[in-house]
Amino acid sequence: MGAVIEVQGVVKRWGTTLALGGASCTVGPGVTGLLGANGAGKTSLLGLILGLDRPDEGQIRVFGIDPATAGPDVRALLGYSPEHHLLPPDVKAVDFVRHVAEVHGLPPREATNRASDVLWQVGLGEERGRPLGTMSTGQRQRVKLAQALAHDPKLVLLDEPTDGLDPVQRDAMLELIHRIGHEFEITVLLSSHLLEEVERICDAAVILAGGVVAASGSLEQLRGTGEGVAVEFDGTPQLVNDTLAIVHRTGAHIRPEGRGFVISGDEHLAATVRDAIATTGIGLRRLGRRTVSLEEVFLGVGAAADPALDPRRASHLPPPPGVAHQGPFGALPPPPPPASLPPPPAAPSMPWPGGRP
Amino acid sequence: MSSQDVFAHDAQIIDRGYRKYDGPRTGVIGAQRAVFRHSVQRALGMRRTIWAKVLPIATIGFAYVPAIVFVGVIALFPAADTADIELPSYGEYYTFVIAAIMAFVAIVAPEVLCTDRRTGMLGVYLAAPLDRDTYLVAKSAAIGFALSLVCLGPPLFMLVANVLQSQGPEGFVDIVDTLWRVLVAGLAVTALYTGITVGITSLTDRKFIAMAAIMLLFLVSLSTAGIIQGVGGAKGIFCIAPTPLSLELAARVHGERTQIMDGVPSATVWLAWAAWTFGGFALARNRLRHLPVTR
Repeated sequence: MGAVIEVQGVVKRWGTTLALGGASCTVGPGVTGLLGANGAGKTSLLGLILGLDRPDEGQIRVFGIDPATAGPDVRALLGYSPEHHLLPPDVKAVDFVRHVAEVHGLPPREATNRASDVLWQVGLGEERGRPLGTMSTGQRQRVKLAQALAHDPKLVLLDEPTDGLDPVQRDAMLELIHRIGHEFEITVLLSSHLLEEVERICDAAVILAGGVVAASGSLEQLRGTGEGVAVEFDGTPQLVNDTLAIVHRTGAHIRPEGRGFVISGDEHLAATVRDAIATTGIGLRRLGRRTVSLEEVFLGVGAAADPALDPRRASHLPPPPGVAHQGPFGALPPPPPPASLPPPPAAPSMPWPGGRP
Repeated sequence: MSSQDVFAHDAQIIDRGYRKYDGPRTGVIGAQRAVFRHSVQRALGMRRTIWAKVLPIATIGFAYVPAIVFVGVIALFPAADTADIELPSYGEYYTFVIAAIMAFVAIVAPEVLCTDRRTGMLGVYLAAPLDRDTYLVAKSAAIGFALSLVCLGPPLFMLVANVLQSQGPEGFVDIVDTLWRVLVAGLAVTALYTGITVGITSLTDRKFIAMAAIMLLFLVSLSTAGIIQGVGGAKGIFCIAPTPLSLELAARVHGERTQIMDGVPSATVWLAWAAWTFGGFALARNRLRHLPVTR
């Protein structure tokens, strides 16, 4: 199956405010996270995908249909769970879900059956006769999810679905969203500013920063696997320094991270590190491919596109390879090399005098 | 058969899992129908608490009381006893129920429109096959239908009852002639109040503010027109007041005149009707176009 949502060079202004400044990305099947700080353009993008607003420039396709010109056709295929918790307080959950299913085109009898079924699916089977005003925030979040699913959409847009939930409720909601994307086979676009949520349940992510797509792709792509190796030694500071000096002499870059080091270099890096360890005889606690967390990716590329977000992280964290980096004016220049270490000297030297404790 | 066999025989799978739906979908028309039905139910307090039903049912009841009394007098008393009683015409009927109409008008539109904005339902609706215009059409139709219960229903009820008692128009031609006048007058008054209340209600998401604004419009415009006319202004000034305008409309459709606007050309009256009605809808459409719904 191809792309579900295609966004190409979309520009959207609200008066003098630029909400989206040439955003481009693709969303495929499964669960995709739409990440961004407040004001990054997430809600504007959702409105454009729903066809509620028209882009000033660029184009959006949802299942190959342009929502700007065929909004009702697109929305017939979508379910949408808004961010707010306000729902009609005097309406019963089952009546509310049934009504929304009817509005999405289900015949009344089918809407009634599916409203009950989907409320069971989200864990509100016993509570379906309760007025919405008597429900907790967690229950109302589930009702919102149920109304988005009741008409069997092909794509569900969830705007901050875990907002206001306690940790237990959030876990349950995330598990449910994961089921929707994989077990129910409904494509999910999850708008959130909580990186941990996206990292837990999403297959891919689109990171918005300053109105542009700073990075997008599968989580594996975003985290990257080619930045180098992460190594943690077990030995005296002298041994650690000796080992790192051997590695450093080959031109590799070394920087501390946590209790160990991240070493990046050429394609022979792993063999170089292995040989250095064999030469010095130092103990080894951990050696593996270095991956980055989504938070690091977010802060890195987000700040690269909008330095005001986090200039500290943007200045030293390289973006992972294989990630499409875009700025307002196209591709961003490659980031500067890590500044943790100076370029390798001609003669052997101690890169870390005294070693790491 | 043992109890275990009975249990096994009656066992059912309760959790049917998530089911795909491949059946027909009703599209935009179905969505509008659903919104229309839900809105009418909401306006009348159906599927809601008992307190939500009291006000609409009471005001509707008040609108029908004169019609029931007029019909009852004819039905219950001998013709000789009622020969001297002059019952109001269909055009005059509105003056008896204008208070109930004003009260019901002030309730319905805020309940139907403000609630959607206040509770976020507007965003849910517009994420469905509806767009802003089809949503407004469905909501206006629902408000119009509800208002027709007090603006059209009582005269129509009176006509049917009079015909059945042989007290109303006689002969097919007379009945049809009266019927179309009752329908046109009722629909014109309904459209007038629908347009006005939809327009005013679009300005706020708070029900009670909208209700107060509607009542204020009726009362302030009426008193303003009365003052201006009292100091020598033309009778046409009452075109700025929806209440006397609606009474005049109904009277003119039935070939009558009210004293308030006697002498004002019919074209002026209908122009004022069109300005209030379509102005209200235009205001609501404009407001709705600029409302953010995904925030």
